[in-house]
Amino acid sequence: MSSTEQGTSSAAPAEPTTAPESAAAPEVPESFYYVHGKDKVVHKVSAGALQHSALIHGMISNLGYTEEQAKANPFPFENIDGDILQMVVDWCNQHKGKPTPPEDTNLPKQKEKLFDLVLAVNYLEIKELLTYCCKQVAMMVKGKSPEEIREIWMIPTDAEDEAAEKEAKKRAGKEAAGETAAAAGDAK
Amino acid sequence: MKISKYPYVIQKEILENMNYVDLFLLSFVSKNMKKLIKSSQKKRFESIRPVDYHCHDISDPPFVHIPHKGDYEGIIDFENTNRNKNPIFQLNVSGKIIDFQWDDYNKVAMASFDIRDKESVIESVHNYFLDFFGPTMKYHWRVDDVEEDFNLFIPKLQNTSLCTDIRLKEDFKDMEKLEALFSSYPVFKWVGLTAALTTELFHPESKYYQAESVFVNQFQHTFPNVLRHFKGRQAIVNCGHWENLEDLIEFLNRWKSGEAFQKLEYLYFELKNGEVPESQILNEIGAKYIDESKTPPAHILPKVYDWVYCSDKPNTKPINSHTYVVRATDNRVASVMIQEKTISFGVWDKTEEAFLKLIN
Repeated sequence: MSSTEQGTSSAAPAEPTTAPESAAAPEVPESFYYVHGKDKVVHKVSAGALQHSALIHGMISNLGYTEEQAKANPFPFENIDGDILQMVVDWCNQHKGKPTPPEDTNLPKQKEKLFDLVLAVNYLEIKELLTYCCKQVAMMVKGKSPEEIREIWMIPTDAEDEAAEKEAKKRAGKEAAGETAAAAGDAK
Repeated sequence: MKISKYPYVIQKEILENMNYVDLFLLSFVSKNMKKLIKSSQKKRFESIRPVDYHCHDISDPPFVHIPHKGDYEGIIDFENTNRNKNPIFQLNVSGKIIDFQWDDYNKVAMASFDIRDKESVIESVHNYFLDFFGPTMKYHWRVDDVEEDFNLFIPKLQNTSLCTDIRLKEDFKDMEKLEALFSSYPVFKWVGLTAALTTELFHPESKYYQAESVFVNQFQHTFPNVLRHFKGRQAIVNCGHWENLEDLIEFLNRWKSGEAFQKLEYLYFELKNGEVPESQILNEIGAKYIDESKTPPAHILPKVYDWVYCSDKPNTKPINSHTYVVRATDNRVASVMIQEKTISFGVWDKTEEAFLKLIN
């Protein structure tokens, strides 16, 4: 689990107990950033874990925040549900600095959760996790008949597609007519 | 979960993680879905070499599969015999309603039909493939284990090349029937021929000799009788015993003079028992030599047909040889490599002058 400001786990990094005896170069303390989703629950995540997200990595790479500044300026992801962001943060923590395995069996099994996770992961640009998620979505229809696939993925029939297309055309026509009328009104 | 709500990149990634059979079934869900599969998987489909209709013997309708990473990925089984408890679903395949069932064992869609409808069912599916995989896709129709009955079921399918693996019995004599097989069908792309002790010859005009590629297994040596009038590109011959060296020398000299085998680009001959007399052969074919201190160029080609590793990439056994011969009529070079039990002969698309420039 990730550290959360409102959760049970501690947000503070562990203090080193003893100084290292060897003459090795002193370790650079890991920096942390804060993110929150739609539910405003703030998650503290290390820069190392956040490297999985090309979007966040790009945002923080030249930021140079102090711990206090980072804490005071959490990244808001209002388009991502809190539980989904939690899953993403957990995944990033679990795979921090590790090569990603070919399979990931810990992804949500419920269709709607997986659907939201795919959108979040795509938005956050986490390539490996997106691949896992897409594999999982693909697995949902393995060995299914076309009608079963339609049901699982809620794919419209040809008639529904045609009706939607007609509707879209109609709407576009109306909008265009509205814009023309407005432009004519402006001209007067 | 509405997959249509996903952005295109995600839809594409999901489709890329699906097997061919699942994409095939998904394409029947809607016209838009089929369009999406065709456009997003164009590159993947273009890399398929090729779609294989594989009949395990002459009475078997085919199992359709696609070579994939040294293995095969099945799509449809027309074998029609493994009915299971899975529900039957009907698909409109190029205007023909066909029953299908999911086959848990082979993980393919299994077509169920009256055997009298075999040809029209296969044609409908093939027509669907032509649209689904695109016009550049190549297909092989391969019939294995052809033994005594040479009456093969080969429907006329567009973009399809024929391949067959024939196994003649030791006492086989009925060349007329075998000739009839070749004359009744279009020229084969690949012929595998296991002829244990048979020394019967094909007619000089036999369509067998027009096959693009042959793979011959003979326990008794009759080489190059099986190649005497060969007009194809590639030949692999395995023989049990060595009986007549003159035939082989004559074969190489006929290529060299330009009298025959103009299209030949690769020959691999392997002797199971005995040795290939290297110096005698090289002397009698008037081989030329590249300085031993130099590295000769390696001759390698994509096999016309390799049912294990279908590829456009070169995959014949490389020929690294300091000896070569030059064809009199066009100055084309062929590398000749003779080892203890093998002779490899690889024709270059180069004149002697251009060939010698390749040497380091």
